[in-house]
Amino acid sequence: MRLAFEEKGADYLLATRDEHGNVAPVLLKKGDEPGTLRVDVPYQMAMILTKVNKFVKEGKIAVVARRCDERAIAELVKRDLLDQSRLNLIGLACSAEQVKECRCTDPCPSVVDFGECAEPSGDDASVARLLDMSLSDRLGFWIAQFRKCNKCFGCTLNCPVCFCDECLLEDKTFTPEKGIPPGLAFHLIRAIHLADKCVECGECERSCPVDIPLLSLRKMVSQDMKELFDYVSGDSERRSPLLTTLEGDPMEDDANVC
Amino acid sequence: MNEFNPNILAFCCNWCSYAGADLAGVNRLQMPPNVNVVRVMCSASVKPEYIFKAVSQGIDGVLVLGCHIGDCHYLTGNHRTAKRIPLAARLLGKVGIDPRRVRLDWVSAAEGEKFQQVVTEFVEDVKKLGPNPMKEVRF
Repeated sequence: MRLAFEEKGADYLLATRDEHGNVAPVLLKKGDEPGTLRVDVPYQMAMILTKVNKFVKEGKIAVVARRCDERAIAELVKRDLLDQSRLNLIGLACSAEQVKECRCTDPCPSVVDFGECAEPSGDDASVARLLDMSLSDRLGFWIAQFRKCNKCFGCTLNCPVCFCDECLLEDKTFTPEKGIPPGLAFHLIRAIHLADKCVECGECERSCPVDIPLLSLRKMVSQDMKELFDYVSGDSERRSPLLTTLEGDPMEDDANVC
Repeated sequence: MNEFNPNILAFCCNWCSYAGADLAGVNRLQMPPNVNVVRVMCSASVKPEYIFKAVSQGIDGVLVLGCHIGDCHYLTGNHRTAKRIPLAARLLGKVGIDPRRVRLDWVSAAEGEKFQQVVTEFVEDVKKLGPNPMKEVRF
């Protein structure tokens, strides 16, 4: 860990380490005592990075990033929320079990510093099962799932690509102020907002206390994005098709809205 | 007597479709009375959120009408609509609400007849689909 830190010539290191028996993110300065650094537990570094970026104004930050972090960072850089020149990515390859758990199709980071690239997982069985259902069965399934929601906003808070300062979902127009569950619209609004930037890291599903299969919903939406616009989010070059005209030129108003 | 009468929400853009609807009215064109027209400044201001809210509260069909591509008062507003609305409709399909309940069409200010035709067709389609299943669901 130290080695990558010295080699990459960064001023800060963002990684996870053991804290009181748990794994927590930590921002280390050059010369700090590293403690026991851990790389075995998935943690959304892109989300931590946007928070860190607000108070670390100078110096390079080295980040331990998995492939999904890398893609999330690419999305944030495209929207001018992060400065690519100030970032140094330390590639971390997910283990085979982690890839299986996320049903990940793109597990290998561009530079691998830790671990070995596992085989990408094939087609998602749970998504295929859902798409085989009839419309009314599927509606029944999702209503049963969304009824469990207790509006904890865990999926929003832990999402690496949720960056709005004012969340639309806290608006009482779309989410009832009182009472749970918040209804069908809540989850659909989140799904459509993330349509062009979700990197399928699975953090929403992991952080959900009632186990709503949110990752399956995200995967279905990104399938749509692929079919409609041939776009895969996490692309560092191409602008999101939802922010361009039909010919692919940028819109008049250069909005970074979600 | 118990014939199903769908409740339909139509978002019409101020510059084209609303004027088109006006023209249809002035010309006394006959069309089903199930449509509630909401005037918006541009079809791009119809956020998918509005559609989801309407559908989850039991509206049977949502019609989004805007200017033809290239005629938008705000130049590229309807390009945004053209990309957003199909995605929103597909997402509804993924959670089990028929995507045909959402329809996007272009109606210009001179196309009163097209407005009539679109509304008549859409009401027929939604009648075939039956009532919105979300009407029965209480969260």
